[in-house]
Amino acid sequence: MRYGDFTPFDIVLLLQGLGVSLALFVSTTLIGLVIGTIWAVIRFYRVPVLTQIVTFVAELLKNSPVLVQLFLVFFGLPAFFKINVTPTEAAVITLSGNSAAFIYVIAVSAIESVGKDQLEAARVFGLTRWQILRRVIAPQAAAFAIGPLTGLLVNQLQVTSLISVIGVMDLTKVGNILNLRTLKPFIVWTAVGALYYLTAKLVAYAGGRFEKRLRAHTAWRGL
Amino acid sequence: MCRLKFDLSILAKHIPFLLEGAWLTLQACTLAVIGSLVLGLAVGAMRTSASPLLNRLAAVYVDIFRNIPFIVQLFFFYFGLPEIGIYIDAFTTGVVALSVAGGAFTSDVIRSGILAIDPGIIEAAQVSGLRKSTIFRKIILPIALRASVRPLGSVFINLILTSSILSTITLNELTGSAKIVASNTFRPFEVYFVLLVAYAALTYAVSIIIGMLHRYLNRNQSEGAV
Repeated sequence: MRYGDFTPFDIVLLLQGLGVSLALFVSTTLIGLVIGTIWAVIRFYRVPVLTQIVTFVAELLKNSPVLVQLFLVFFGLPAFFKINVTPTEAAVITLSGNSAAFIYVIAVSAIESVGKDQLEAARVFGLTRWQILRRVIAPQAAAFAIGPLTGLLVNQLQVTSLISVIGVMDLTKVGNILNLRTLKPFIVWTAVGALYYLTAKLVAYAGGRFEKRLRAHTAWRGL
Repeated sequence: MCRLKFDLSILAKHIPFLLEGAWLTLQACTLAVIGSLVLGLAVGAMRTSASPLLNRLAAVYVDIFRNIPFIVQLFFFYFGLPEIGIYIDAFTTGVVALSVAGGAFTSDVIRSGILAIDPGIIEAAQVSGLRKSTIFRKIILPIALRASVRPLGSVFINLILTSSILSTITLNELTGSAKIVASNTFRPFEVYFVLLVAYAALTYAVSIIIGMLHRYLNRNQSEGAV
């Protein structure tokens, strides 16, 4: 066997890379969901200075390349603040911030999709601010947001491939290593692409299922 | 904190070099926008055609290129093309990859623009005895393109942001040259911060231009019409 041949272990390597990609995808999505929702709530209550800051940061994050954000966090922060940032930490910080900015936009429009009259009615019934947010706005906004959110997540999954540039051993990095070792770019990148494709389809499918469940209360059940 | 100072003056003498990179980015993006528009028009027409085969082919193309990360596509082209005997430089590879990826998104926008046209208009054109190609060129395209200026704009802004990934295939466009400046000056924070703001300003300017174009092209439309 030549050094450049494929070995069965390469499959394990690819799956390991997929695992890293998926773990980062899921964790940064969850962090992004929390931050993005908090930002949207800040905007909903029109908290004075914070609203402007949030809007500005979100715009900046949405309108700049993720690669540059990644370099800023990975190369810039350590040099400027004299701290240590590992590739994985830099990836988590950047991807969470980026997801948060896009989720913020979706969350804002989802909150706005809930009619004003409902909020007034809820206030008349004497619900507290928290109760209105939790019992009236959140369920409807979630059902509204899940569609665009699924589209965003499919996109964010692909964005995770950029972290290979700063040396995180994700699926793309594994593909890079295999490519350089075997010098068979067509096979390697087709396999990597297929794995990303299948994962994206899985995310889209899961989103569709989840949307159906959240919208169950509005679905026609028959008489 | 020993020396936390944010000093942009170091960058002054590197500005010509960065502008060179920006020029390359501009060239790549312009070519890629044209390429993806041409490809998007063709694929969008295929996706809305009556032929099930063309329709299916176009759908597969869009599905594949929308669901695979751009960097993987780029490496596929960059490492794969020499394998089959096509030797092109990094710039051309980058433009081709950007156009193919952008074409998938563009075709989706154009497809929804075409589908939004009132079928009555097309029927009227058919009844008037116009040829298929005339209907497509003179009636469908103008209406569809005019309606999809804004979504096309956001696709192109995305294309500009995506072009930063070309720096990974040794192309020294804006991000690539910033990388070089950062390692020469040892001030990565300042360099990448300026780069971030520069990209944001660039895309902001493009979005304003697109808004103006949209208003100009739709100046004769009454409120609420297409």
